[in-house]
Amino acid sequence: MLHVELVLQGLINGSMYAVIAVGLTLVYGLLRILHVAHAGLFTLGAYITVLITNATGSLPLAVLAATLVVGVAGMLVYRLLYEPLLDRPPYVALIASIGLFICMEESYRIVFGPYGNSFDTMQLTQRITIGPIGMAAADAAMLVGAVVLLTGLGLLMKRTRFGIAWRATVTDPAMARSFGIDTIKVRYVNFFIASALAAAAGALVAVLNNLVEPTMGSVPSYKSLAIIVLGGLGNVGGTLAAALLLGVIEAYGTIYAGAFLDRDAIAFVFLIAVLMVRPQGLFAAR
Amino acid sequence: MRRILPLLALAVLWLMPGTAPAQDVVKIGFHAPLTGFAAADGKSARQGAELAVAQANAAGGIAGKKIELVVYDDEGKPENTIPLANKLIGQDKVAVVVSGGYSGPTRAAAPVLQRAGIPYLSAYAIHPDITRAGDFIFRTGMMGEVQGRAGAKLVADLLKKKKVVIVAVNNDFGQALTAGFKEVAPKFGIEILKEHTFAMPDRQFGPLVAQVKASDPEVIYAPGYFFNAGPLVAQLRAAGVEATIIGQEGYDSQRFIEIAGKASEGVIVTTSLDRDSTSPATRAFIDEYEKAFKDRVDMVAASGNAAATVAIAALKKAGTDPKAIRDAIRAGSFDTAIGTLSFNNLGEVKKAVQVQVVKDANFHRFAIIDDLQFLAPPEK
Repeated sequence: MLHVELVLQGLINGSMYAVIAVGLTLVYGLLRILHVAHAGLFTLGAYITVLITNATGSLPLAVLAATLVVGVAGMLVYRLLYEPLLDRPPYVALIASIGLFICMEESYRIVFGPYGNSFDTMQLTQRITIGPIGMAAADAAMLVGAVVLLTGLGLLMKRTRFGIAWRATVTDPAMARSFGIDTIKVRYVNFFIASALAAAAGALVAVLNNLVEPTMGSVPSYKSLAIIVLGGLGNVGGTLAAALLLGVIEAYGTIYAGAFLDRDAIAFVFLIAVLMVRPQGLFAAR
Repeated sequence: MRRILPLLALAVLWLMPGTAPAQDVVKIGFHAPLTGFAAADGKSARQGAELAVAQANAAGGIAGKKIELVVYDDEGKPENTIPLANKLIGQDKVAVVVSGGYSGPTRAAAPVLQRAGIPYLSAYAIHPDITRAGDFIFRTGMMGEVQGRAGAKLVADLLKKKKVVIVAVNNDFGQALTAGFKEVAPKFGIEILKEHTFAMPDRQFGPLVAQVKASDPEVIYAPGYFFNAGPLVAQLRAAGVEATIIGQEGYDSQRFIEIAGKASEGVIVTTSLDRDSTSPATRAFIDEYEKAFKDRVDMVAASGNAAATVAIAALKKAGTDPKAIRDAIRAGSFDTAIGTLSFNNLGEVKKAVQVQVVKDANFHRFAIIDDLQFLAPPEK
């Protein structure tokens, strides 16, 4: 029984990592930028969700607003920060991204205060039981939300014109352009989708924890980097699998290795172990 | 020449000693994590200390001189506090320093201030090594070990329960509280079923909750901060765990109750601040703080206020000679927001532990553990 719950809790955490990390891997796949400020957009999504829910009383409206606003914010980050740096070496964009992330965290603290914000009335507090397995409605929302979002993303990539354009641009931007694909538009849409996913993850975490803080992005910022490396940089499917696997490993690690290994260290021990055996990542083709 | 003039002006400015004449103010140094991961506690500590200074100034200051609180941000990082301690000593020439920071930064600054012979008061940092830096270092907050012992007494004597699971944050705060709890647990016949840790940034406790549920304890002793405790308590109750949850001063913030919502009802904490106290010093602090900052008091604000209050009282009694201030703190008894404080030979505070319970979304008095012999902090 304990093991069923541990795996389930691991999958819940893993699906949160997945939604964040997939956005990161989309950006990396397209532009070869390690987009650390992604975690700042995740935090922004969480703040918007809590503030709009408290103002209007409607969680769905708040989540919608969060994804739209943060999606646009992501496009602005691309336009104002990354685009001018595209012809520089990749570490320039990485340093800029880290700078933006720190700037965002401190701005949240100045604007919203250091104590963090909560929903006026806690959201999704019911308990769902299926046979002997029980979980909080917020946990279920995280699982279902991740499945819906990631399936939607999968369909978008496989079945739509945008998906074809995106994949073509990732494979060979020059060739894609010569076939009439607007690769600049692809980049904007890419940032919109990636950032909207981060916002959705932020909203789900806000509901789960009933707490949104300026620094809530700091752990996801580096852990999702570990995940996309594990998944084979730029590989969406691999990122998903790595996120879920890490979630489950962490769940077990918390219980059986917690006395000597910090939960946040587990991701990196796992990362080092995998890179020693498979330097291209768990799921990348050679 | 024209080019040289601005440079010359700069050099002169740079070489000029200090800015304002220092005779008309008495300076108290202060550091706290105003930015970074602990910024919430930093803000509370700072507001608490500022209130103490404002009140003392309104009452005439120190022998007619205004008190100035010189505030620095330590970001919660030990490496930041050594330069800023030196700055407080050499540049600001403060008479006494109050730490509104965590153990790491406070521990780093203590030897620097000890060497300079400047009295240093730690408001709520709990690491035992802080006061061991020397005779100029004092602590107005409870040591973790002391509070851990009080936790065990609460479980066994007041609640009459035995089976405990410990879920602790894996830093000095959690370790010290756990050590104190475990030190006296056998004496009380407390059985510790399992012991788990989590990291300070953790907010999702699903796996721990599943394990605690499987252990089925009577009591969960869970050292952590309000930003851990809020989600932890909510997730424990959401999973149907009904065991009594014992928190510590890290829980002592209205934010804990807001985050955990209904799940916070019945959670018992060991802390320094008694919301139902009738002591004039405590009442005045709670009323004035809530009026001044339009926010609810918390343990950190009360502790920052108490440490600053002790510093001001010592300055009033002893003037600005650091040795005289040290002796005044050592010999004195101080009426503060967290009760009447006096110090032992090591500079550790001697005071009662407040036990508060969450009832109707507020902290209220549950009990007071005032067996000062049982709670005695180490003397060396």
